[in-house]
Amino acid sequence: MSIVATEITKRFRDVTAVDGLSFTVQEGALFGFLGPNGAGKTTTMRVVLGIIKADEGQVTWKGEPFHRLGRGFFGYLPEERGLYPKMRVAEHLSFLGRINGLDKHKARREAERWIERFNIGDLSRKRIEELSKGNQQKVQTIGTMLHDPELLILDEPFSGLDPVNTALLKEVLMESHKRGKTIIFSSHRMDQVEEICEDIVLINRGRMILHGNLRQIKKSMGRQILRVSLEGDVDFWAKIPGLDLLASRADYQEFRLGDGVDPNDVLRAAMRAGQVVRFELVEPSLDQIFVEKVGATA
Amino acid sequence: MSMIPVLVQREFSSRVKGTAYIVTTIIGVLVFVALSFLPPIMQRISSSLAPGAIELVVYEQPGEESIVPYLEQVGAEREGFIVHPAGTFDESEAYRKVLDEGLSGLLLVDGPLYTFVTTDASNMMLNDEIQIVLNQAVSRWNAVRLGLSADDVASLFGRVDFRVREVSPLGEDGEEIDSAAQGQAMILAYFLLFMIYMALVMYGNMVATGVAEEKSSRIMEVMVSTVKPLDLMLGKIIGVGSLGLLQFFIWIGTGLVMNTLGNSGVFDSLLGASAALSSIPLETVLWFGLYFVLGYFLYASVFAAAGALVARVEEVSQVVTIIMMIIMVGFFAAYISFLNPNSGLARVASLVPFTSPMVMFSRIVLGSPSLLEVMASVVILVASVLLGAWISAKIYRIGILMYGKRLSLRQVVMLMRD
Repeated sequence: MSIVATEITKRFRDVTAVDGLSFTVQEGALFGFLGPNGAGKTTTMRVVLGIIKADEGQVTWKGEPFHRLGRGFFGYLPEERGLYPKMRVAEHLSFLGRINGLDKHKARREAERWIERFNIGDLSRKRIEELSKGNQQKVQTIGTMLHDPELLILDEPFSGLDPVNTALLKEVLMESHKRGKTIIFSSHRMDQVEEICEDIVLINRGRMILHGNLRQIKKSMGRQILRVSLEGDVDFWAKIPGLDLLASRADYQEFRLGDGVDPNDVLRAAMRAGQVVRFELVEPSLDQIFVEKVGATA
Repeated sequence: MSMIPVLVQREFSSRVKGTAYIVTTIIGVLVFVALSFLPPIMQRISSSLAPGAIELVVYEQPGEESIVPYLEQVGAEREGFIVHPAGTFDESEAYRKVLDEGLSGLLLVDGPLYTFVTTDASNMMLNDEIQIVLNQAVSRWNAVRLGLSADDVASLFGRVDFRVREVSPLGEDGEEIDSAAQGQAMILAYFLLFMIYMALVMYGNMVATGVAEEKSSRIMEVMVSTVKPLDLMLGKIIGVGSLGLLQFFIWIGTGLVMNTLGNSGVFDSLLGASAALSSIPLETVLWFGLYFVLGYFLYASVFAAAGALVARVEEVSQVVTIIMMIIMVGFFAAYISFLNPNSGLARVASLVPFTSPMVMFSRIVLGSPSLLEVMASVVILVASVLLGAWISAKIYRIGILMYGKRLSLRQVVMLMRD
């Protein structure tokens, strides 16, 4: 275990933003930190990084409290992006490198290297305020990784990036992951987290709802999702008790199997209604788990 | 390792190239150049206002004793004051003479009533000059009529020999105060006092605005995750302060260069004896530096805390108003202390930390406070700087991550207790 958070609680006067939250993150993990808007994600991140103090509980990295870790141990991309608007790109990046402990020359070298890597060489002499939002975000993301931190905490890293840059960033993150760096994503975009992360924690209203390996979580939810595509009477399912229609799409219908419903009975009913093109039992998507779990606590 | 040097460097290099900084520096240089040309210009202006040579025709009632000898006597002691007795002319002929020859005017003497008839009645300086001469002439005339001898008259109207000698409380022999030097010290103190005042307002505002900008651009969140809030605040204060020092060096350097040029004779005729910048004693410069730095640190940390409380840059001016008012109180306290540097007000204000940088500095330049007072003032000020920085850093820490709305002082106090 590298990050161990124990019973973190943070109150802002009468609002409890984080309420007795505990979770662990393995070293070298790609970890998803999930929750709806206002769930307490940002506050938890701030507590983990020591920007604000928890009222109760503690966070450690391999047993050490975070504030004892050296400069440049982590890189943090906050949800609220921000850079010095008047500074030039290369200059700003080497400044970020320096406050994270790189010396002057190393900071400049790394800044140049990353600028090349992210294909913004033509912008390196421009002021931050002259850049588009997407490019500003690229610069800031580089700023979190420039000093090659052990731990990367990225809050919605892909929002605002086009598909090309999203792919580029994913590639870069996967590289870091292969080199054994620990990466935490905070997001409410389940599809992206599902694609990348191995372990997750899902919180709502400051409390933990799910925690663990994404595969196992999905498995434990059971293969309760059924996708059917058929040419014929699409309303065949109405007569089967315990079957709920989740989504009706152009290419297939998606159902949830209630307790005690035999998928074979459903298949037989479908065959009677027409030509079955597709019949598939799938694990619930993270999106569905999210909606189900968050909906239940809401 | 502290990150303060890196932060200071960023602050410095990102602002020093800014248009605002370059423009204010250039304007300052121009002001200093203009200032060194000011004394001769002022002289020219005042000499153009002076009435110049006065030629006066005096018409007296026949048969009365004449005032003319006395007027001539007094007029002889002044430059370009000529008295023409009307002689055999009558009133209208005398007046014609004034008009024809372009003289200053006609003085009608009728017993106790003296009337000055002139074409230039709105020239106050002329009227005053004539009144002064006339008063003195009449006084001498009266003295003679009272039967005083010439020696009596001379001693009656002779200038008093007045000197000031200050005795120091340490019992050393008092030195005689050269009133010209005293005047120069006064001008110097005014000048440096004004510099401190300007620096506090200008750079203090720069600090507050800078903090608010970092807040509103949301860079703060990245910064506080990496750098301690106290370091962040000190980096800003020292960064802006070093910009200020550079600006002051450039300005004072300009003044010195202009002054040297004046002394070396190149601009001699133009500059005349300009402000005695090069004659500032080293001691004064050191005191100036000490109170400048301490005062700046004290106010800048308050400005930084104020900047951390606002949500938007536009709100900065609202919260800094009260700080500016405190600076102004200090400025006026120093101003009043000039008149009597040892008054109760001056003594108290030179100990209160928010006014002492200006008041105690002024008192030192004017040369009166005891060593004990100076030490007490420095100690209190240093302690206040440390305490102020500590409190401000706490407010700063709370304020910088609060977005959305301005924090009231009450909220801040409650948050600090948490």
